[in-house]
Amino acid sequence: MTKETADMARTGVDRRAVLKGMGGLGLAAAGAGIFGMPRSASAAESLNYMCWEGYNAPTILEPFQKQKDVSISVDLITDSAGGFAKLAAGAAKDFDLVSSDSPWIARMGPAGICRYIDDKDFAEQYAEFYPQFRAPFAPLQFEGKATGLPTRWGWVGPTVNTKFDKLETWSSYAPVFDAAYKDKICLLDWGDWPIMPLALYAGVDPYVPLDQAALDEVRKVLRAAFKNTRAIVADLAIAQKGLIDGSFRALIGGGTYATSSLRMKGHDYIQSIVPEPKNGLKQGIIWMEATGLIENGRDSKVAADFLKYIVSPEVAKQLSITEATCNLVPNAKAEALFSDAEKKALQMDYMWTAWDNSHFHTVAPNIDDMLAIWQEELAAR
Amino acid sequence: MRTDSKSWRDPVLVATVAPLAIVMLLFFVIPLVMTAVLSFQTTQFYRLSWTWDLKIWTEVFSKPHYWTIMARTVAMALVCVVICVLIAFPAAYALATRLRAYNAQIQILIIFAFLTDAVLKTFGWILVLDKSGVANWLLAHLGLGPEALNLLFTPTGTMIGMVYGLVVYPLFTIYLSLARIDRDLVLAAYDSGASRLRAFFEVTLPLSRPGLYCGAVLVFVLSLGAFLEPKVLGGGTAPLASELIRQSFETRVNWPLGAALTLVLIVIGALSLALSAAVLLRGSRRAAR
Repeated sequence: MTKETADMARTGVDRRAVLKGMGGLGLAAAGAGIFGMPRSASAAESLNYMCWEGYNAPTILEPFQKQKDVSISVDLITDSAGGFAKLAAGAAKDFDLVSSDSPWIARMGPAGICRYIDDKDFAEQYAEFYPQFRAPFAPLQFEGKATGLPTRWGWVGPTVNTKFDKLETWSSYAPVFDAAYKDKICLLDWGDWPIMPLALYAGVDPYVPLDQAALDEVRKVLRAAFKNTRAIVADLAIAQKGLIDGSFRALIGGGTYATSSLRMKGHDYIQSIVPEPKNGLKQGIIWMEATGLIENGRDSKVAADFLKYIVSPEVAKQLSITEATCNLVPNAKAEALFSDAEKKALQMDYMWTAWDNSHFHTVAPNIDDMLAIWQEELAAR
Repeated sequence: MRTDSKSWRDPVLVATVAPLAIVMLLFFVIPLVMTAVLSFQTTQFYRLSWTWDLKIWTEVFSKPHYWTIMARTVAMALVCVVICVLIAFPAAYALATRLRAYNAQIQILIIFAFLTDAVLKTFGWILVLDKSGVANWLLAHLGLGPEALNLLFTPTGTMIGMVYGLVVYPLFTIYLSLARIDRDLVLAAYDSGASRLRAFFEVTLPLSRPGLYCGAVLVFVLSLGAFLEPKVLGGGTAPLASELIRQSFETRVNWPLGAALTLVLIVIGALSLALSAAVLLRGSRRAAR
């Protein structure tokens, strides 16, 4: 999954910007090492943390650094798969913690990148979670062992501007293919996120091994969607702007990740919903991020302490509402810390409806085939 | 006449060349070799597998969509070169001849625009090209009706962004060539009875060729790697090679495929340059005769 441009828009990171900054970065790296300057030269311990933006907020990291006398160096990822590949290629020995999409964290345990956690050591944290996230939490389990804890979540379904469209219109993905909506749909180019719902609409469960006939169905549905779509953008800001001004009637493939921050800013007419099940197949997707402890031979206790810290109610609330995006958190106790406006922005009244009508997002067995199809159909547009 | 013999055993020469050679070796040759090596491997479950086979290259040569995107990239780069040169030449000519009094100020303004962050400039174009953007607002006020232009999320939008970002290169290279032309040569042409147009085509244009070629090459090479414009302004309507490579490396985590496509793009770029250099050389020789 790629949420790169949400970050790109905020941080201005692109190829050219990177090249321009290379000179300065080179000097900085020479003086401060790959991970930048430590918080304090006198800190007793240091942690290297690979994470999505939001986890690195000073309001989250600084209290922990002070409390534990530890310096945390952050390496932001812009792509979960890319982050996994980087760790798998050998960077794991340089890191202590990772926060990424749960399918990738789940793979890190069996791959030897993350160490398994003993759920009993985190019993107190699990007890504060919503029942759906309590131990043993299946999406992060492998042979009875857990890799990390869930940290943020949401759902993927159509994101609709209700000033232009009724929510009922989007009780199915049908408008994506409707000629009346030609050039009014925006697909978010976020890895597998837009592919999964469209596959589900085509009657294909993308989370099970697919044969050629099923892959052909995926190809057909993507081709039809591309034909009717105005833009396939990776940048969250562009997608949100189009949605607000009505040039896009709906965003597909972003869900709450694209919605909640707008709602938090007062655009409460923007909503992400999950379509009704079609032919017995649920049409929504639950995405989740998790945080894992990296297997680097150090068995750092302070890293485990950070894992407890990041899911604690107060920190979870901060992690929920960041400058870039706003998302749900698995900690039920944190719910009491949200104001009514924040709960409304996060669509908390709808979250369990969405949960019930969704598949839990995992790495699909045929994901590379589907991404290749996406690439091929995009080239042929 | 004594000719200095430059021997590779000359310590001064070696000391002079060594730093650059080391930098090129470390940051160009070795990464290029590593890229080539990577292209002969495969990935399994998102992890690199050292298999040494031709699987990736077979895929590259058997899937037409890769070549569709490569061909589109080269075509867009060539169009971008032509547009940039057509815009840059008159502007550079004006700077070098008619606007000499304001030369410094204009150059500073251009440099400011050039140095403005590429992300900012590209996103700025959205506000101009959008259906409800500045361009359509102006056209509507000129009586052309609402939403007369629909350029955002089209290949034309991509091209506008690319030209805007790259036109400054030929502008300056052509300007430098034009500024170095001895004015007496042009005056001599006039004295020989040449019209302004003939003097331009027979004196000014040939003498400005080095800057023109240099600018064109810069635009072409940078266009081949255009990433932000097709992504932001193109809206995925016509993906170019850089996006294909990014997708392969990042989204698909297929580093060997990304490496192979990178090499294909490099080879296409190098061959295009070699071909154009050969054509230009032949043209120059013919002109010299």
